[in-house]
Amino acid sequence: MDFLVNLLAIWARLYPSLVSGFAVTISVALAAIPLALLGALLLTPLRMWGGSIIHAVTGAYIEFMRNTPLLLQIYLIYFGLPLLGLYPSEFMCGVIGIAMQHAAFLAEIYRGGIESISQRQWDAARAMGMTWATALRNVILPQAGLRILGPIGNQLIILVKDTSLVSAIGVVDLTMVGKVSIERLAVTLEIFLAIALIYLALTGALGAVLRIIERRVLERIG
Amino acid sequence: MMPNVLINNLPYLLKGALVTLELSVVVLIAGNLLGLVIGIVATSVGRIGQSLITAYIFVLRGIPILVIMLLGYYAFPALGYRVPAYVAVGVAQIIYVSAFVAEIVRSAILSVPSGQIAAARSLGMRRFSILKEIVLPQATRIAIPPLLNNSLTAIKQTSYVSVVGVWELTYAAREVVERTLASFQIFLGVMAIYFIICYPLSLLARRWERRAAVVQ
Amino acid sequence: MPMIEIRDLRKSYAELEVLKGISFDVEKGEVVVVLGPSGSGKSTMLRCINLLEEFQGGGIRIDGEAIGYTTTEGGKRRRRKEAENAKLREQVGMVFQSFNLFPHRTVLQNVMMGPLKVKGIARREAEALARDLLKKVGLLDKADQYPARLSGGQQQRVGIARALAMQPKVMLFDEVTSALDPELVGEVLRVMRQLAQEGMTMIIVTHEIHFARDVGDRIIFMDHGAIVEEGPPANILANPKSDRFKQFLRRYQGDYLDT
Ligand SMILES: Nc1ncnc2c1ncn2[C@@H]1O[C@H](COP(=O)(O)OP(=O)(O)O)[C@@H](O)[C@H]1O
Ligand SMILES: [Mg+2]
Repeated sequence: MDFLVNLLAIWARLYPSLVSGFAVTISVALAAIPLALLGALLLTPLRMWGGSIIHAVTGAYIEFMRNTPLLLQIYLIYFGLPLLGLYPSEFMCGVIGIAMQHAAFLAEIYRGGIESISQRQWDAARAMGMTWATALRNVILPQAGLRILGPIGNQLIILVKDTSLVSAIGVVDLTMVGKVSIERLAVTLEIFLAIALIYLALTGALGAVLRIIERRVLERIG
Repeated sequence: MMPNVLINNLPYLLKGALVTLELSVVVLIAGNLLGLVIGIVATSVGRIGQSLITAYIFVLRGIPILVIMLLGYYAFPALGYRVPAYVAVGVAQIIYVSAFVAEIVRSAILSVPSGQIAAARSLGMRRFSILKEIVLPQATRIAIPPLLNNSLTAIKQTSYVSVVGVWELTYAAREVVERTLASFQIFLGVMAIYFIICYPLSLLARRWERRAAVVQ
Repeated sequence: MPMIEIRDLRKSYAELEVLKGISFDVEKGEVVVVLGPSGSGKSTMLRCINLLEEFQGGGIRIDGEAIGYTTTEGGKRRRRKEAENAKLREQVGMVFQSFNLFPHRTVLQNVMMGPLKVKGIARREAEALARDLLKKVGLLDKADQYPARLSGGQQQRVGIARALAMQPKVMLFDEVTSALDPELVGEVLRVMRQLAQEGMTMIIVTHEIHFARDVGDRIIFMDHGAIVEEGPPANILANPKSDRFKQFLRRYQGDYLDT
């Protein structure tokens, strides 16, 4: 009982910082998500239908991004760009790093979706006199889009969790709020319990929303 | 900014890579074993046990690994245990990985058609031998690609222990960059080391994915 | 001038020669039924007519227009531009064994898609046309359903309506009833029979021999990538000349005697 009262008292004192940290976390996510989705949209056609050099370059980019830690990608941007005379904010560095890695993962998801549509759908579309581009736009992409809703949702949830890495370069997001509050409040576990719960609520809510959307869309076409 | 900064510091970085490898091996073995047990148990216990495991999986998977590590890092001293930092974050990583493994194993087992189990039972097979002869072999084929991908993620996220001060490859890289300011060379070089560790696993995962697609 | 003119059509997959010089004509309004064992090259031939496959030799003309390739005066074979070929494909409707409806679109949208996206017809007209065709195949009441909700026979009738919506000069049918439960075959054949009566030029690949005899003006029997026999149904079915055709008919005799 004492413990609980104590915990709530600490959380009450932590509340204002939690709110501002949460706002930063959400901002990082909201900035990175469209960038990642668009970046993947750019990568996918280059990877799938670009000439052999473009294919190789985008392939190398995607594999490099998928097989190296996000933390290092963020460090590379944050500590590397100043050498080129560029000084983006910590926030920007974090957003760019996250978007660059997740664009690579999303591009693989997009490609998988497009390749999963059977050749017969292409045949049916082209037999009607559709050009390749018309068939892609009207027949293949809409179906692929429906099919990858779930995987995209999962990837975005991972992205939201990955925003916590921006704390490593000093962005005062939810995770960083925890670290800086330790000295002020002279407690540790209580702080990170609160932070863990907030992340859990955030990813849980996002997951629930994405599942509802997916079910709504998919139940139509069975 | 000559590439010799990387070459000069390579021995030091490779020492870090060795620690990263050790950490990865421990986390992968322990995390996968723990997750395997939890996943199998989840499919063979009662309602309450299932709910507990579901909660375990849901909670851990919904929280960033960094936060789980910080919780682990502060939990030991708060509970009155003094352990080295690498033990605390190592345990946190193992538990985190186990939740993902448990979910993969559980859903792979549940995806084996119930008709198969009914058929085996009608042959008079016992519960344990049904699991061993019928369910697990089929579930294994389904689970291997996601397990490999999960292991890939686990290796990459061992780098996050550097954030709480555990010395390994990424920590070593930061030290060298602070000393030399050669951020491009060092970080790209270190990323290349991670790539060399991770890429074969990535290829393996893709091979198994393709094989699974053919079986279906 | 024949509606379809096929001359010495040759097609290989790497080493494997699948079509070994096929030649025949189909007159306007004629219904040609193609019979042949599985693997004899029937699908490949239809797919060449619609340019879903490249072919290496010979030529195909639809209503006088060369499909896929043109031959220059020097005798050199050149592939036509993609846009030209797409234009030519519009004149050839095709119905597939596996229906291949677009699952993300309703029945009505499936039928409207060609007029709308290929021909660029106004939406109102396209919808009127699509509803007419759905009525013709007896599925107007399913217009707003998604294909997954339909039976195989219904899906295949939508497939026919979708092909007709392009107002093609020629219709190709590739074993369109082979994937159907037996009790659903009749409803699809009925639609095809009606089309034949209306004077549509058709090439029908099928194993339904009694249907071939009833509806076909001519039967072609293919084996191993070549035409073995051809002629009017009554003659050719009653007096098969080659052993291969006799064997083939014996195998499908069950169907044949059914009528
Ligand atoms: N994409 C392909 N690649 C290689 N061989 C093929 C391909 N499609 C068909 N074939 C071969 O071509 C031959 C004719 O096939 P097909 O035209 O489908 O015959 P049918 O429709 O009469 O059953 C078969 O031997 C088949 O194996
Ligand atoms: Mg065929």
